[in-house]
Amino acid sequence: MNPPRRLRVAVTAVLGGLGVALLAGPALAAPAAPVAAPRAGTRGQIVIGAEQEPDCADWIDACAGASWGLWTMQEQTMPRVFDIVQRGGQWVYAPSVLMAAPPTLTTTNGAQVVTYRLNPKAVWSDGTPITSTDFRYTWDQIAHGANIFDRTGYDRIGSVNDTDPHTAVVTFTRTFAGWRQLFGSGYGIFPSHLLAGKDRDAAMKDGYSWSGGPFKIQAWDKGVDVILVPNPNYWGPKPKSSRVTFKFLTDTAAEFQAFQGGEVQAIYPAPQPDAVRAIKAGLTDANSVVNAATGNIEALWINNAAFPFDSVAVRQAVAYAIDRDAIVRLLFGSLGLTTATNSLNPPILAAYSDQRAFAGYRLDLKHVDALMSADGWRKNGGIWQKNGRAARFSIQSTAGDKRRELTEQVLQAQLRRAGFDVTIQNVDSNTLFGQVLPAGTYQMGLYAEVVTDLDPGLCTTFCSGNIPGPANDNSGANWTRTNLATLDPLLEQVDTSTNDATRISASKAADQILAAQQVTLPLDPLPNLAIWSKQISGVQGDNPVYAMFWNLSRWQAP
Amino acid sequence: MLSHVGRRALYSIPVILVASFLTFAFVRATFDPTAKLRQSGTAGSAIRDERQRLGLNEPLVQQYGSWLGKFLHGDWGTSERTHDPVSSQIASALWNTTQLVFWGVLISALAAVAIGVYSAIRQYSALDYTFTGLTFIGLALPPFWFALIAIEFLAVGPKQWFHLTQPPLFFVNLHSSSGGIIDYFRHLVLPVLTLTVGIVAGWSRFQRAAMLDVMSSAYIRTARAKGVPRRRVVWRHGVRNALVPLVTVMALDIGALFGGLIITEKIFSIPGMGKLFFDSLLAGDATTLTAWLVVTAAFVVAWNLVADLAHGWLDPRVRIA
Repeated sequence: MNPPRRLRVAVTAVLGGLGVALLAGPALAAPAAPVAAPRAGTRGQIVIGAEQEPDCADWIDACAGASWGLWTMQEQTMPRVFDIVQRGGQWVYAPSVLMAAPPTLTTTNGAQVVTYRLNPKAVWSDGTPITSTDFRYTWDQIAHGANIFDRTGYDRIGSVNDTDPHTAVVTFTRTFAGWRQLFGSGYGIFPSHLLAGKDRDAAMKDGYSWSGGPFKIQAWDKGVDVILVPNPNYWGPKPKSSRVTFKFLTDTAAEFQAFQGGEVQAIYPAPQPDAVRAIKAGLTDANSVVNAATGNIEALWINNAAFPFDSVAVRQAVAYAIDRDAIVRLLFGSLGLTTATNSLNPPILAAYSDQRAFAGYRLDLKHVDALMSADGWRKNGGIWQKNGRAARFSIQSTAGDKRRELTEQVLQAQLRRAGFDVTIQNVDSNTLFGQVLPAGTYQMGLYAEVVTDLDPGLCTTFCSGNIPGPANDNSGANWTRTNLATLDPLLEQVDTSTNDATRISASKAADQILAAQQVTLPLDPLPNLAIWSKQISGVQGDNPVYAMFWNLSRWQAP
Repeated sequence: MLSHVGRRALYSIPVILVASFLTFAFVRATFDPTAKLRQSGTAGSAIRDERQRLGLNEPLVQQYGSWLGKFLHGDWGTSERTHDPVSSQIASALWNTTQLVFWGVLISALAAVAIGVYSAIRQYSALDYTFTGLTFIGLALPPFWFALIAIEFLAVGPKQWFHLTQPPLFFVNLHSSSGGIIDYFRHLVLPVLTLTVGIVAGWSRFQRAAMLDVMSSAYIRTARAKGVPRRRVVWRHGVRNALVPLVTVMALDIGALFGGLIITEKIFSIPGMGKLFFDSLLAGDATTLTAWLVVTAAFVVAWNLVADLAHGWLDPRVRIA
C-alpha cells in the first residue's frame, strides 16, 4: 500500500465517522437528559438563568450550602415553618402554609419549648400527611448525622415529641433565641416515611422526586439544567407555570447575552463588575430591581491575633486609611449605592443593630499618622516601621472574583498612601474557607458573610469561645480571633435571650464594641440584582433570603 | 507493525505513571479533601477520622499506590464536591468535549487544508494575502472575546434586528430537546466556531508552508516536466504529501484539546472536561482533579503515540524499527 492510499483510507474513515455522527448526532447529543428542556418562550413555561449549579441536593450535608441550591430546588420543594416576608418596610417571619397556627414559645420547668401545630391539609407529593414525626426525623438527622453543614440550634434541642401527628413539641436543652430559623431557611423538613432507615444523602444528593412545596423536581441534568413541575398534591396556591427550568449559565457576560437573546427569561446575577456594566448599559424589554437591604456583609475580616493587627491602634489606623465610600461608589455607584455599610450586622437585621457603628471610620490620613505614631511606629521609606518590622500585610480573598480583585487593588493603593505595604494573595474558596481562615494563617481576608434568617447572632464569629482551638476541637468559626471579655456576654445574650428588647439592646452595644475595637471593617451589603423579562407576570422583586424566586409559583409566562 | 505499535504503547506506560504520580503529589500538596468539613465547623476529631478513612495520614508513596490500585480497577473515588463517582463525572464530561473536539477538528482540518493549499498554489495573490491577514487575526483573537462577539452578532443581534422569537443560533449547552438534528447543530455552531478559529489559523499556516515546500521539490518539477496536468500535480503529488506533517500536528493538538476547552465550555455552559476542571478547581475537589489530570495526561500521551504512528505509517521515509 503506497502512502496516498493509506491517506485515502484514513480520510475515508474520518468521513465515515462523520456520516455516522451526522445520523446519530441528536440522539448522542444528550445521553443523560431524560427530559426535554423547553426553550424560553414556550407557552406557560419559564426558563431562568442560574449562575451556579448546586453541588448536591442533600440540604443538610456539607456538600450543600450553595445559595443557588436553596433558590433552584430547596425552597420550591421543602416545606418550612416560617416564610420571610416584608411588612411595614421590615423583613419579618410569617408562619407558612404548613402551619395551622403560629408556633408558640413557652418555658416549661426552665426549658424552652416550642410547639408547632401543623395544617392537617399539608401533605407530601405522594399524599402522605406531613407530621410531627417528620420534625423529629429532621432534628435527629441534623443533630446526630455525619457531615452536617451546620447544626446551629438543632444541637440545643433535647427532644421532639411526635405523639400527636399534627403537633410537634420541641424541647430545648439550652435556650436558643433564634428558634424561628429552625425547620426552615436552608434546610426545611424532611419526609421520614421516605427517608428513615435509608441513606439520606444517597437518596437526595442528585435530586429527589418527592416534594412538600409548590414544585417537584422533574429532572436535574448535571451541568445543564434543573426542571421543576407543579406538585399536584400541594395544598397551598397552585403554581401558575406548567414548568420552570433553571439553566446553568456560569459566565456572567454570556448570562446577560442569554437574557437578551431570549434563551432565558430571568436572571439573578451576582453583583460583579460585568453585571453592573450590563445593567448600566441598559436592558431591553426587561424589569429590574436592585436591593441593597440584603443579608450580606462584605467586609475586611482582620486576624486580630496576627501582626500587625494584634494592635488596636493599627486596626483603627487601617480603617482611617481606607475610603470605603469611594470603593462602594466604584463598585455599585451606577446602581445607586454610594455609601459603605457601617455595621457587621447586615441591613436585614437593622432592627437589631447599630447601623451607624462604624460610621466614624472615614478616610483621615492625619488620624492614621496620630494613631500609628502614638503606638510607636515611625515611617521609613513611606512605610510604617516598629521594632524593625514594617507594617506589611497581605489581603486574601477568593481567586477569580473580579469585584474582589478590583476592591483589593483599590485598597492596596489607598493603604500604600497611608504607609501600609499590602500584597494580594488570593486562593480558591475551598482553601480560603477550609484551610486558611480556620487555621488563622492570614492577616486580612476579603469576603462576605451571608445571613439566611432574621436572627442576629454574631457570637459564632466573634465570641472568644469560638476561636478554633482544643476547647472546641478546632470547630470554632471565630476566624478573626476576636477575644474581648466585654463582648462575649453581650453576644451570648443575643443568642440566648428570648426577649426581643434585651436582644436588641445587647446587639447594639456589641456593635459599638466591635466598632471601637475595629475587629473587622464592613464594606458593603452586596446588593441583590433581579432582572426579568416583561413577558413574565407575577414577579415581585427580591427577598433577602429566598431571592427573587420566593414567589416562583406565582410567576406566569404568556 | 503490530509489534512496533505494542512497543510504543509500552513506552507510554511509564510516562503516564510518572505523570500520574506527579499529578497525585501536586494535588495532595495543594488541596485538602477535608477542607469542606473544616469550613462547615466540623469537630477536629471528626476531621481526623475522615483523614484516617481517606488514608491521608499515610506516606505519600503509600497513598499513591493505594490510589493507583483503585484507579486501575475503575474505582476513581467519589467527588468531594458532588458526592458522585468521579468516573461517571469524567465519562459524562468527556462525551460532551468529544463532540466539540470531533466537529471542531473535522471542520478545522477541511478549512485549513483548503486555505493552506490555495494560499500555496496562489502564493502572493490577493487572496493569499487576505488569508494570511485573517489567519494572523485568528491567531491573535482571544477565544473568550471572539465567543462573546459571535454570540452578539450571530445570535442575540439577529433575534433583535429581525424580531425573531428565537435566536437563529443557540449558545447555552449542547442541546435543548425540542430536539432533532437541526436543534443539535444550532447549538453546535457557535462553540465549534469559537474553537475552530484559532485552530484553522494555525493549521492553515502549517499546511501552506508544507505545501510550498512540497511544490518546490524535484519530483513535482519532474511531474510538470513530464506534462502531468497541473490539477493532478497539485492534488495527487502535492497535497497528499503535504498532508503528512499536518496529520502529525493535528494528532498532537487533538490530545491537548481534550483538556483545553475551559473557556469555550464555560462561556457556552457546556458541561465538558474544561468546565469540570474549572468547577473542581474552584471547589478544591482533589479527587476529581487528580483523576481529571491523569485522564487528560493519558490523552496527550495517547495522541502523541497516534502522531508518531501516523507519521511512520504515512511517510515511507520514516522507517519503523
